[in-house]
Amino acid sequence: MEEYEELLYEQDDFEEQFADELEVLAEMDVEPPKPLARQNQRTGDDIADIEHLLDDQPTTPKAKRQKQETGVVKRLFSQKSKPPPQGTDITPPSSPEQYEPSQTLRSASASLDISGFATIPETPVPAPSVVPPSLHVLRRPPLQGDFITVTDSSGTRVYLRQKEDTGPKIVDSRMAPNFQGSLGLLAVPINVLREQEAERRHQQVVEESQRLTELLTSSVNNVIVEPELEEEEEEESSKGVDDDGQTSRLWVDRFSPRQYTELLSDDFTNRCLLKWLKLWDTVVFGKERKIRAPRTDRQAPNQHTFKPNQSNQNPNRFKTKIEMTEEILDAELDQYKRPKYKVALLSGPPGLGKTTLAHIIAKHAGYNVVEINASDDRSAEVFQKRIDMATQMKSVLGANERPNCLIIDEIDGAPAAAINILLATLNRKDGPGAEAASEAAKKKKKKESILLRPIICICNDLYVPALRPLRQQAFLLAFPQTQPSRLAQRLSEISLRQGMKTDTGALMSLCEKTDNDIRSCINTLQFLHGRGYKQLDTRTIQCLSVGQKDQNKGLFHLWQEIFQLPRTKRKRFGGGFEEAPSSGGGAQRFQHILHLSSSSGEYEKVSQGLYDNFLSMRVRDPHMHSVCDALEWLAFSDRLNQMILHNQNFSLMKYLPFLSVTFHFLFAHTHVPRIKYPHSHHEATSRLLTSSYALSSMLADIPACIRSRISTLTLTLDILTLLLNIICPKLRPVNPQLFSNREKEQMHELINTMLAYNLSYRQDRTLEGQYTYVLEPRVEEVVRFPGLPPHRQLTYQAKQTISREMEQERMRRAERMMLQRNPAAREEEKKSSGPKASSNHQQRLENIVKQTTVETRPEKDFFGRAIAPKPERLQPSSLTGEKSSVLAMGRAVGNSDVWFRFNEGMSNAVRRNVYIRELL
Amino acid sequence: MSLWVDKYRPTSLGKLDFHKEQATQLKNLVQCGDFPHLLVYGPSGAGKKTRIMGLLRELYGVGVEKLRIEHQTIVAPSKKKIEINTIASNYHLEVNPSDAGNQDRVVIQELIKTVAQSQQIQSSTQREFKVVLLTEVDRLTKDAQHALRRTMEKYMATCRLILCSNSTSRVIGPIRSRCLAIRVPLPSTEEVCSVLTSVCKKEGLLLPPELAKRISEKSGRNLRKALLMCEACRVHQYPFSVDQEVPETDWEVYLRETANAVVSQQSPQRLLEVRARLYELLTHCIPPEIIMKGLVRELLNNCDGQLKTEVSHMAAHYEHRLQLGNKAIYHLEAFTAKFMAMYKKFMEDGLDDMMF
Repeated sequence: MEEYEELLYEQDDFEEQFADELEVLAEMDVEPPKPLARQNQRTGDDIADIEHLLDDQPTTPKAKRQKQETGVVKRLFSQKSKPPPQGTDITPPSSPEQYEPSQTLRSASASLDISGFATIPETPVPAPSVVPPSLHVLRRPPLQGDFITVTDSSGTRVYLRQKEDTGPKIVDSRMAPNFQGSLGLLAVPINVLREQEAERRHQQVVEESQRLTELLTSSVNNVIVEPELEEEEEEESSKGVDDDGQTSRLWVDRFSPRQYTELLSDDFTNRCLLKWLKLWDTVVFGKERKIRAPRTDRQAPNQHTFKPNQSNQNPNRFKTKIEMTEEILDAELDQYKRPKYKVALLSGPPGLGKTTLAHIIAKHAGYNVVEINASDDRSAEVFQKRIDMATQMKSVLGANERPNCLIIDEIDGAPAAAINILLATLNRKDGPGAEAASEAAKKKKKKESILLRPIICICNDLYVPALRPLRQQAFLLAFPQTQPSRLAQRLSEISLRQGMKTDTGALMSLCEKTDNDIRSCINTLQFLHGRGYKQLDTRTIQCLSVGQKDQNKGLFHLWQEIFQLPRTKRKRFGGGFEEAPSSGGGAQRFQHILHLSSSSGEYEKVSQGLYDNFLSMRVRDPHMHSVCDALEWLAFSDRLNQMILHNQNFSLMKYLPFLSVTFHFLFAHTHVPRIKYPHSHHEATSRLLTSSYALSSMLADIPACIRSRISTLTLTLDILTLLLNIICPKLRPVNPQLFSNREKEQMHELINTMLAYNLSYRQDRTLEGQYTYVLEPRVEEVVRFPGLPPHRQLTYQAKQTISREMEQERMRRAERMMLQRNPAAREEEKKSSGPKASSNHQQRLENIVKQTTVETRPEKDFFGRAIAPKPERLQPSSLTGEKSSVLAMGRAVGNSDVWFRFNEGMSNAVRRNVYIRELL
Repeated sequence: MSLWVDKYRPTSLGKLDFHKEQATQLKNLVQCGDFPHLLVYGPSGAGKKTRIMGLLRELYGVGVEKLRIEHQTIVAPSKKKIEINTIASNYHLEVNPSDAGNQDRVVIQELIKTVAQSQQIQSSTQREFKVVLLTEVDRLTKDAQHALRRTMEKYMATCRLILCSNSTSRVIGPIRSRCLAIRVPLPSTEEVCSVLTSVCKKEGLLLPPELAKRISEKSGRNLRKALLMCEACRVHQYPFSVDQEVPETDWEVYLRETANAVVSQQSPQRLLEVRARLYELLTHCIPPEIIMKGLVRELLNNCDGQLKTEVSHMAAHYEHRLQLGNKAIYHLEAFTAKFMAMYKKFMEDGLDDMMF
């Protein structure tokens, strides 16, 4: 690749050296007939074009620009005054060393070649050698000033004179090798040729100017031609600056649209933004909302030309989106008469003209643009200050000074803190009492605090995490691709003005190459122009290694490209390609996919996406061979990856992108693939992690004697499923106190097992509000598989019982441990826990019986006096009622085996009357 | 300690139920008070650990049964902290270095060195060496195994290693040659049956011999599994009946169903379903080798004799690559797809032959 480039440079040397000559010649060739041609084929479109050319470049600004340019030249000159500025000027910054003045020998050989080489183009040979030195050398500030002021026809005179002024030395240095080198290769000496050429040019120019003046006087709409003329003149001058080597202005800036109607971006987007901005009129300018009649009027020519096109291309793509956006735009203003969305957020890939659009629309709507971009400091404090300054300051210089409109460019790079500040500014609330009740000063103060100016934010990536909060509050405008037809038209205008011969096909292919990136297109064009290409065709552009953006598209785009056969290709190329889609197309597709996937770089993600999606592609594969192949490749890339990571052998990485190519050839289909984002791997990893956490948390607290016998592996493979079966015995759904001995033993074992394996039940509340007991740690999920017959589960009651028993057992053990450690306490404990041997319900009964015996002691009233039991028994007061019931119960307990206790109160549960005979 | 597996586990070499000859050999081995490094290997559930513990008990007495879990933190040279659990008694230390994943080399180097370098204080009453028991040696990385080589020789005086693994195939040669290899094979069906019966007897249960046989077959002679199954049976239904259902581990059932799905239909859609099932298995902590093995076993049951050699050859190929690679699912699926393609072709060929 590099070698090629070098070669390219070598070749280009010559053309570059004589770029300006060629350029001028080309202009000579192209420009003169232009007005005529224009006149002939002038369509309505053209008129519109020129009309707005006219009103965007009135005479006064032009003069200003010229002045500016001279200023630039002046500065340049002052810098370069000491070293002789000969060849350095044209060189693009990429290879300046080739043009160093010391390398005379080299330039000699170069010009030697050129003399032979230059015969190839159809322009006359001598021309290059005649004009360039003059052009080069003679651009001196004082003279430059002269040059600008004089009219077109007298321009040539100035050239000639200037050449004699300062040129000779340099001309000599340049010419000498040419003289020696040519050695009579030319039939006529170069000097003569040069003079002839100069003469010829002069004549031509004179003729041309005469014809133009005639036209001017004769034609009715002379207005159309005049700007053309001025334009040329201006270009001439600016080209002069260019030719001096310092490309002071990029074409992108020179030809950037200055008016709404010149915008290249999608009409709908433009209109939406403008509409949104107009919503602010009420609060900013105090105007009432109007019907959008004037706006549509304004846009008429543009719409007229492009509307049908657009509606053809995407009839249903934006339909819902359009409706939604319209809805947003028609929404009511809020209480401060601001639109609902305070911020517009433009998003889209670079080079679509977002910044330009924002600027132009803001200007168009009558705002003064304040821009903050990534080059500014965007730390939180500074940002706050800037926002406040832009939105709340009032200009005091003039009464009708325009209000500010804040444009925050490249906001996706801003820190989250800055965006939060922006949000805070948006949401700043005014007190509700601000209308009338509060005094004037207060009101004023408050008025200041809320946001009353529009803010336009611009970003490339809408889905940067930092922008997430802003997204919800912003009027989102996604930029669609620029239409290649419009872009190509603009490019052809530019190239026409710059004197490059182009055709639509070439420009279209340029558009395609740069993905309709306006900036990139124009830059490439300028680059080519600077390189001396004066003629562009499709082939040149396709062979060229410049202009191709090394950007990485989204992963989805890549996957789409991989799984979809290219369809548009055939349309684009001529018959040659169409005939052999398998051979030429195959190689091309190969290269294309390879390029895409290697530029994306996220091989892991890419291959994961391929893996997740390839089986759902609609590919006929009855024998599953391609599936096998694909998996073979995936396995290969996995091994490759492992090798790379393990051995740190990153040179193997170059083989990774081929996976995508394979998949393309195996599975590409004409249908638009439906691609899902690959979650499977991530999901699997996270689930695996949860499982292993559950297992390790289970293992962590298993006593050592058991722990030493099991490992994670045996746990999952052998033990766990069966263990879960074992801990689900059949339990009678009764109170554990009523278990038989055998059942008690079983229960005891169960609890021992669960404790030994560190399992327990934990009460949990489901989303529906039900309580359940879940096994903790959650190993159940580790061993249970979906789709298998469910295992027996214990009932809620059983689990409850188990968990309670376990709690008790645990406490018992802890106690025992404590006692073991601290034998002194044992004695005490023995005493206290002596009667504890009896089971629970017995204890309770005993208690109750005890209570009753206590109750039978002489009752005392509130004041501690003994009361005769008799009257109380007869008249149970509310205070003693319970006691008496307990008493009664105690007696009942004492007398019979069956007893029950009635708790006062009520329950909301279903009640029905049950008679005792029903129970019997 | 209430699972039968734990309750009735023999604690000394003399009480072992099967491979008694080997037990006596082991006893004789430690009789003189010293023994070489050991590499105990054999399938899961054959009683490797039981034998090792019996050996240690023979060597040190009852003291080795007083176990404690220790959490050790080792700082790797890269300043990364590695937490690892060890089970230790006063006489030995049990580590599973593969818990540390890729950093197992550091565990080997640091942990074993610290143990091995410390001398026993009272060498008169105790053995002069400690024992380090390394489990799951076959899951060690190559780095760790190489780190082990030198350590084994250098600290021979103060430390004996007992390595415990399922197979020796992933233990590097140098280590194998430094150890006395002891293979503990699975008990025979009869042995499993007798163990089951004796355990049931101790529990006071009556186990019909048919059921015992069925359990032992279903458990694949894995004694641990057999005992657990028996206990699960007991929980499920008692008194035992001859034809009662023996619970199985879920993953085996799931794997069998997966294999059936592969055999019943061969298409990309089916492969997608199988992929979901394979993922399911993997996320349930089932190692890919075991999935592969189980899958092959089930597939072989289902396919024609002619295909069997080819399928097993393929399985070997893909399992090898699975070991080399990182993402198990790719290789498992590649194997499945290959099998599908092969099986389909075979079936179609068979159909063609029938038609003509």
